[in-house]
Amino acid sequence: MKRVMLTSSMLITVTVVLVPFYWLIVAATHSSADVFGSTPPLLPGGELMDNLAALEQRVGFSRTILNSVLISGLYTLGAGAVCTLAGYGFAVYDFRGKELLFGLIMLGLIVPGQVTLVPLFKMMLAMDWLNTYQAIVLPNLALPFGVFLMRQSMSTLPKELLAAGRADGCGELRLFVRVALPVMRPALAALAIYLFLYQWNDFVWPLIALRTTDAYTIPLALAAQTGATDTDYGAILAGTAVAAIPMAVLFLFLQRHFVSGLLAGAIKE
Amino acid sequence: MDRRRFLQLSALTAGGTLLSACGSDSKPQQRPQVAATPSGSITVWSWAGPAAMMKELVPGFVKQFPGVEVDVQDIGNPAIWDKITTGMAAGGQGLGDVLHIGVDYLPAYIEKFPGGLADLTTLGADKHKGAFAQGMWETVSREGKVYALPWEANSAGFYYRADLFEKAGVDVEAITVWDEVIEAGIKLKEKTGAHLLAIDKAATQTDSANLFQFLMQLQDGFYFDMQGNVTIDTPAGVAAMTIIKKLNDAGLVADGGGGWNTMISTIKKGNVAVQPMPTWFGGIIAENAPDQKGKWKVRLPPAVAPGGKVAAIVNSTHLAIAGSSKNQATAFAFAEYVLTRPDSQVHIYKGKGIAPALMAAYDDPIFHQPSEYFSGQKMGEIFLGSLKQPSYVTNYTADYGRALKLVDDAQTKVLLQGADPAAALREAADLLANQTGRKVQR
Amino acid sequence: MTLRAMKLAPYFFILPALALFAIFKLYPIAWSFQLSLFRTEGALQSFAGAANYTRLVADPLFWTALRNTGAVLAVQVPIMLALALALSIAFNSGLLRFRSFVRLGWFLPIVTGPIAYGLLFAVLLNPQSGLVNWALGLDIPWLTDKFWARVALGLALTWHYVGFNAMVYLSRLQALPADQYDAAAVDGAGVWRRFWHVTLPGMRPVIVLTVVMSTIGTLQLFDEPYVLTKGGPDNALLTLGLYLYDNGFRFFDFGYASAIAYALTVIIGVLGIIQFRVLRDRT
Repeated sequence: MKRVMLTSSMLITVTVVLVPFYWLIVAATHSSADVFGSTPPLLPGGELMDNLAALEQRVGFSRTILNSVLISGLYTLGAGAVCTLAGYGFAVYDFRGKELLFGLIMLGLIVPGQVTLVPLFKMMLAMDWLNTYQAIVLPNLALPFGVFLMRQSMSTLPKELLAAGRADGCGELRLFVRVALPVMRPALAALAIYLFLYQWNDFVWPLIALRTTDAYTIPLALAAQTGATDTDYGAILAGTAVAAIPMAVLFLFLQRHFVSGLLAGAIKE
Repeated sequence: MDRRRFLQLSALTAGGTLLSACGSDSKPQQRPQVAATPSGSITVWSWAGPAAMMKELVPGFVKQFPGVEVDVQDIGNPAIWDKITTGMAAGGQGLGDVLHIGVDYLPAYIEKFPGGLADLTTLGADKHKGAFAQGMWETVSREGKVYALPWEANSAGFYYRADLFEKAGVDVEAITVWDEVIEAGIKLKEKTGAHLLAIDKAATQTDSANLFQFLMQLQDGFYFDMQGNVTIDTPAGVAAMTIIKKLNDAGLVADGGGGWNTMISTIKKGNVAVQPMPTWFGGIIAENAPDQKGKWKVRLPPAVAPGGKVAAIVNSTHLAIAGSSKNQATAFAFAEYVLTRPDSQVHIYKGKGIAPALMAAYDDPIFHQPSEYFSGQKMGEIFLGSLKQPSYVTNYTADYGRALKLVDDAQTKVLLQGADPAAALREAADLLANQTGRKVQR
Repeated sequence: MTLRAMKLAPYFFILPALALFAIFKLYPIAWSFQLSLFRTEGALQSFAGAANYTRLVADPLFWTALRNTGAVLAVQVPIMLALALALSIAFNSGLLRFRSFVRLGWFLPIVTGPIAYGLLFAVLLNPQSGLVNWALGLDIPWLTDKFWARVALGLALTWHYVGFNAMVYLSRLQALPADQYDAAAVDGAGVWRRFWHVTLPGMRPVIVLTVVMSTIGTLQLFDEPYVLTKGGPDNALLTLGLYLYDNGFRFFDFGYASAIAYALTVIIGVLGIIQFRVLRDRT
């Protein structure tokens, strides 16, 4: 009896939580007029392509998607490398100033990103980098949470493994590439997903640094549409579906790595 | 001051000294701009309709000045304001040569970015001084310098559903003041169930206080006076907001939350009877509700107080030349071609219904024909009558954006929380003064 | 492998992160403070001393933004975390069927970006023709009334973050030693007493962790209110982040925007220190 109560109440609530996703699919496949009709549509319609075409015509949405994919991809590679190297350095070695330097980077978790918006804007202006990919990718490469996550994961590396490698005459860099990285694959996957999602969804800084429609990422293009004189919600929601659903599917496939990797990193003292 | 800024400034002063040194010891050199034939290539920044119309005018311009290349870009509105601001913050880097600028943003560019826009008197702009509607030239000039040529001049209008008012037994043309509008609205709602008008009560869009601004302008008032003092809670402001409150308290105001979409759908549904909108709005109604042909009429708005004004130029747009442009002469020639030739303006009016500031354009028969959609009214003449009346020059200042936000908030307080108009406006005025260092004039 | 190389190796590994961090974080943080001492209007700039800070203290909108943030901290965060705790216990229960489906369903919202779900909620909660009012058969002025706009923001934030927090709690629950429970069960402790005396103390570190994370996140709130109502109606959803953005990038008043940023930093710093103290002292 208890079992039925608990299970059914959890199934009902999880359905409520999933309704927005379902509705997103429904709304993305109807015209704006239908979405805001007197009775909202409850089943998916057939106007997804029309909506996407409208979005293409308004903002050049295919270019927007390309921007998002490239920026997020480049960022994941770059930040993944930087954070993994630093996490390894902090986890495996003892050296002068280690705690101080680590503490400095962790300060970045607390200092709000918004403090740096104005100076970064001025910096990019002076470099003539507004509207470029590097303006978006560079500033957050050394992501404090990424460094933290990697330090946590790398500290689980068995010391004997590294010692054995050194005994075999392995250099420090080779040790990192040949011994540490292969063992750390799940943690790296978690980091990569985290970084990709972080950049894919990032909004404020791109909003400031990307000034023209052809440089926009998906969140910018969608948010900009709500301010337009005639807002086409069918098109906006189609775009939102394009932004959200691949991420959800990707996540479903990789969730084992992601959840356990991320939580393991975050929870340990 | 940061280093880069310092370097820029010192380069500027050095350049300035050099120029004046050259000028003082020799005879003034012949100014090449006016005499020279336009050449080279220029970029024009605008948005949607106006951009499309300028594209259509390019071939004629090129025919007159062979070899010139003109690239008209549709930057989008409001994206264009940010893009111009950023370009100016970057010292003119990446700006177009010709910039299409609304009256609400022009002062901010002139005041906050000295040198950002070229002084057109050196290019011979003065000769067009008398060609435009009243008040236009003052709008584009500052301390003897001219920063743009006027394009469109939009007058306050009052579009209404004649059929609904007829059903309610109200003669709209006989109304003279807004208090009578309220009475008419009550009858209208009783008989037809329609709301008198719609306002974006929660200020979901920045232009939600359009009606308030419009009612202030009918009283020769605005958010700032000519000295730049804050005048939001002057008697004119309080009178305007009180009318809006009375309308709302009488249950005559539908919620226009969501802005444009909601407005269009209320027009289509026909549950709002009045659109107090400027000249250009007529084309929008006709385009979106073709089936309501013959049901709409237009007149100039009633006055706020008995004997008060019924005409006001509520906004205008202009073409300016970037101070950083390397081809100012050609840019100016293009602006002249678009804005000072009646043929160009008539072409634009036919295409997109954009009302010219150029008075000579109104000689064309198109402005004097009866409109089929508006029950045979001569729309062009109605607004022309407004343009010919003395117009108050609106001082938008560099802080219009801030004022707009605070006025939106004040209106929301009045409409949604029943705040007292005078108190809400006083609060807004004090805040604006605190934000901008301006004085409040009550 | 020489000893010297061994000594230098760690610096080689952390150098890229440190250099990037110094250029794009530390330097801008210092520069921002300098900027906050200047009055700026577009291209014009003049030294103003503490004028921006005195203006800030006298600015009612700054206090409005702070109050709004405080309301989220005092109401939405506790409700969400309590809900997350309850969920985590349900997730962990041996009685739950379809366990992984339920867990994943609750977790899925976190992968949806703030702009995406903000837009989605704006449409769902549309007062005239949104799905929510239609389904409830009500006419709630979501997003156009000050009170309901705050409720809408709270709903959206809770939907997005509650599952993530529940999973954080769950991972700790699973790590709690089972023998304590057995001992408590042998003692005949009831469900509530077991929760109160065994579960909750064991959960303290993660609870504090989620409180700190939620606090920092709330103080930096920008995306959701921006896309829901741009901070309206009548500043009901105005946050410090939004106010900073408006001043800096709509009105190009960099000096004032920087002063807001510094005020925000100090507030987060103070709250952060207090909360970390609690974490240190109790565990």
